Amino acid sequence: MPQELRDAIVGLRMDEALTRATRMVADGTDPLAVIAEGSEAMQAIGRRYADGEAFIPELIMGGEIMKSLSAAVLPEGSGPSAGSSKGTVVIGTVRGDVHDIGKDIVALMLGIGGYTVHDLGTDVPVEDFVVAVREHDADIVGLSGLLTLAFDAMKSTVEGIAAAGLRDKVKVMIGGAAVDENVRAYTGADGWGDDVGHAIKLADAWTDGGA
Amino acid sequence: MQHAAEDKLGDRLIASWVSGAHLQFADDEARERYQARARLIVDTIRLKDTGRIPVIPAATQRFALDYGPVTFREAMTEFDKAFAAYVRQYEDTGFDAYVGPEFIFPAGMFEALAWNRVRLPGVHLPDDKSFQFVEAEYMKADEYDEYLDDPSDWVLRKYLPRLSPKLEPLAQLPPLRNMLVFHQGLPDLVLAAAENPGVVEAMAALKASGEAVQEWSEYLGRIDQELGGRLGIPRLLGAIAAAPFDIISTYYRGWRGAIVDMYTQPEKMKALMERLLPWQLEYGIDGARALGHPIVTVYLYKGADGLMSDEQYEEFYWPTLKRLLLGLVEEGLLVWVFTQGKYDSRLHHFKEIPAGTCLIHLESGTDAFLAKEVLAGSQCIEGNVSSALLATASVDQVEAYCLKLAEVCGKGGGFMMDFSAFLDEARRENVKKMIEVAKRSGRSSS
Repeated sequence: MPQELRDAIVGLRMDEALTRATRMVADGTDPLAVIAEGSEAMQAIGRRYADGEAFIPELIMGGEIMKSLSAAVLPEGSGPSAGSSKGTVVIGTVRGDVHDIGKDIVALMLGIGGYTVHDLGTDVPVEDFVVAVREHDADIVGLSGLLTLAFDAMKSTVEGIAAAGLRDKVKVMIGGAAVDENVRAYTGADGWGDDVGHAIKLADAWTDGGA
Repeated sequence: MQHAAEDKLGDRLIASWVSGAHLQFADDEARERYQARARLIVDTIRLKDTGRIPVIPAATQRFALDYGPVTFREAMTEFDKAFAAYVRQYEDTGFDAYVGPEFIFPAGMFEALAWNRVRLPGVHLPDDKSFQFVEAEYMKADEYDEYLDDPSDWVLRKYLPRLSPKLEPLAQLPPLRNMLVFHQGLPDLVLAAAENPGVVEAMAALKASGEAVQEWSEYLGRIDQELGGRLGIPRLLGAIAAAPFDIISTYYRGWRGAIVDMYTQPEKMKALMERLLPWQLEYGIDGARALGHPIVTVYLYKGADGLMSDEQYEEFYWPTLKRLLLGLVEEGLLVWVFTQGKYDSRLHHFKEIPAGTCLIHLESGTDAFLAKEVLAGSQCIEGNVSSALLATASVDQVEAYCLKLAEVCGKGGGFMMDFSAFLDEARRENVKKMIEVAKRSGRSSS
């Protein structure tokens, strides 16, 4: 049954996945164990993505299935167990930029990949990043921005984190279609990426999560 | 045969656009400059080796406004200030065509309707940030049948009320199709309007929004006269049409919704794309005729590499886009296909469109050298100079990259120099270097 659930998720068959998951719970399986199966299936999708065999629709559809599956099997208000986390990530789209798709996918896949992710949303002021880094004792900060207008906001966010005395505590990654090594140097970030695979590789390298 | 070809709308529009018949030229020199540039643009799209690489702007936004300096907020409210900044930018640079503030819409148009789809500088964002669209689910997953059954009703009573709180009262109107039965329909309609003060207010909001657009359109006309008629720079942007998949995924369902639909109700999605295709064709052709402009621009959003598999692209995205492009080309029109994101794996599809009809924009993520290899002899390519390079690199780095582009992509024609995306932050000296390289390389290869 767990294998069939995983297959249904990897095959992106929403209805079948939900039917199988609810049946497993009805038959006495711990809902958290069902979620764990789902997460494993999502990781398989993530690996296929990293290998160039799956694309963003698979990640998003997989995420949608997981969302529906959690809603179907978990009691209202409870979330999937954090379990052992590879590290804590604070992520958001920087001030002045409201694009969310890239950031959402990175947040989703980091979460599935074993990180505790705090998503601050879009158009996030510097202060909010600083507060979140402190509050969640973050290891990694992810700054997203689609527009070149985001470069300055990324730079001031990195500076804001430094001014708060937190720069040595966190690694900062920037992401977006327009970023590159020049932009990384300009913003003072530690790493950059233009797709979700880069983000996960960076996070794993920084936390030994890839080891 | 010859006669039939000349009768095409596109051919007539090319002739009149190149002549600048819509402009009042300041002097003969402006006219000559304009006509030479417009001819160069058309010839380059037609893949003629003109011995000169045209240099065009995808669009300049913050880059142009900094010539004021004018904030984005001011550019959306005080058109005279933005007018001056754009004119100064084009006087100072030397592009062979212009894209003005056509996408810096008037704030009043959005604000009168409290339009939900945008975040505006001075309202939601700092004054110096560009306004941005917000994608959301404006069409529910279960509304395909309703849309297909009566699209205008869905637009009037579902879509508009979701896009604007000021238009929410329209949701309470009876379906306009009731008017098909006059005696019943008319009293129902007027009564529903009369009994609902919100409907009257909605009409007033539409009127206020329209007034802002009138003022803005007049300002775009003044810019065209100044840049075209005085400086001799042709306007590159004409009518616009969109890929049916992009309409559904960007404007109606949101990308997440569209992806879920690809897996859960693919046939309904395809039926809607079939419905949208002839309307987009009509919109592009009528728009070209109304503007007297032979180039129709199609901005592409969701078809880039990685955003879907090749199979999904070929099943969902390309079929209706291809027919849209073929339909426009059939009318003799030229199409500016503005790819966004990395497009390497999709480029070969543009060979399915008659050669020398499309201008394919490439962002920096796309490999321009590969594009040249794939599309040489079939379509003109342009773009690729990265915004990050222009914003952060040295003049020498910009020169080196542009020289390589000019040498490899410019070989034999079919290439225009342009940046990767709408230009905001960029060093002026870098942009000028890009322009200089294009013009210099052109001369040396001629």
